[in-house]
Amino acid sequence: MDIVLRAAVAYVFIIFMLRIIGRRELSTLGPSDLVLLVVMGDLIQNGVTQSDQSVTGVFLAVSTFAMLTVAMSFLTFRSRRAQTLIEGEPLILVENGKPVMKNLNAERMNIDDVAEEARGQGIESVDEIKWCVLETSGTMSFIKK
Amino acid sequence: MAAPQALTLKTHRDRQNWWQSTWIRRALLLVPLALVVLGLANVFGQRPVTTVASAPAARLTVAAPTHARSGLVYAARFRIDAARDLKNATLVFAPGWADGYTVNGEAPQPLTQGSNDGSLVFGFGHVPAGHRLTFWLSLQINPTTVGDHVQTVTLYDGATRIGVMHRDVVIFP
Repeated sequence: MDIVLRAAVAYVFIIFMLRIIGRRELSTLGPSDLVLLVVMGDLIQNGVTQSDQSVTGVFLAVSTFAMLTVAMSFLTFRSRRAQTLIEGEPLILVENGKPVMKNLNAERMNIDDVAEEARGQGIESVDEIKWCVLETSGTMSFIKK
Repeated sequence: MAAPQALTLKTHRDRQNWWQSTWIRRALLLVPLALVVLGLANVFGQRPVTTVASAPAARLTVAAPTHARSGLVYAARFRIDAARDLKNATLVFAPGWADGYTVNGEAPQPLTQGSNDGSLVFGFGHVPAGHRLTFWLSLQINPTTVGDHVQTVTLYDGATRIGVMHRDVVIFP
């Protein structure tokens, strides 16, 4: 029973932490983001399974995570409110070639980050962007003028 | 200019809903910050805390965590400073020292070991006046153990109670 409860608590805590640290950290792999994502898994494993090295323990922990993932997915599918709470909302970063500074600041980003991402999608200048949207997954979508 | 499909300027550009406030996210960031601060302040253990019980015959000093987390391994230290001859120094440990714990070892090995109403009774024999006896108990908290455990330690000389130390340990999951 203990391992299921630990896995459930860990799952909720991870979702909470990933939501509050900001979505850009989910998709970018700068040095500090990499450290966070790599180390997090290892630290969580200790707390969930502790000294349990059994295959049963693995089944229980993985099954708990899987069931919670399905439950979250179902919840976000059925409830708009839950989706907003769990996944957040897309954010407009550039409108008609002009940066929306309030949203860039909220995500601890600057226009250079947008320009870098735009170049990766074959867009030469921010001026060419009609809409740039930071999606809930942390990726940027561009709509050209 | 209309926003892309499924987006609205009010929500996705201007963030006018109350739950989109930057202050809410900042407030939520206080949760991990508070955890870090509390951790540094030893709220979740496992820094040892030294407590002393003094009596005319002897002084008992215990150094062990009063806050810890399940699964942790640590050693508790017990020191008896005899002011007068203790013919049969005996330490009695409340059940909280063993319930939910794995006792990995004792050093030095007590001369006698027993149980009394669930308490552990360790006898160390003669401790001359002015001498010090130090005893280490190597413990591991079982992963499923949580909550408050009474860890009273009582020092006896034979059947005579010399001193008692009331301690608790709070174990976090």
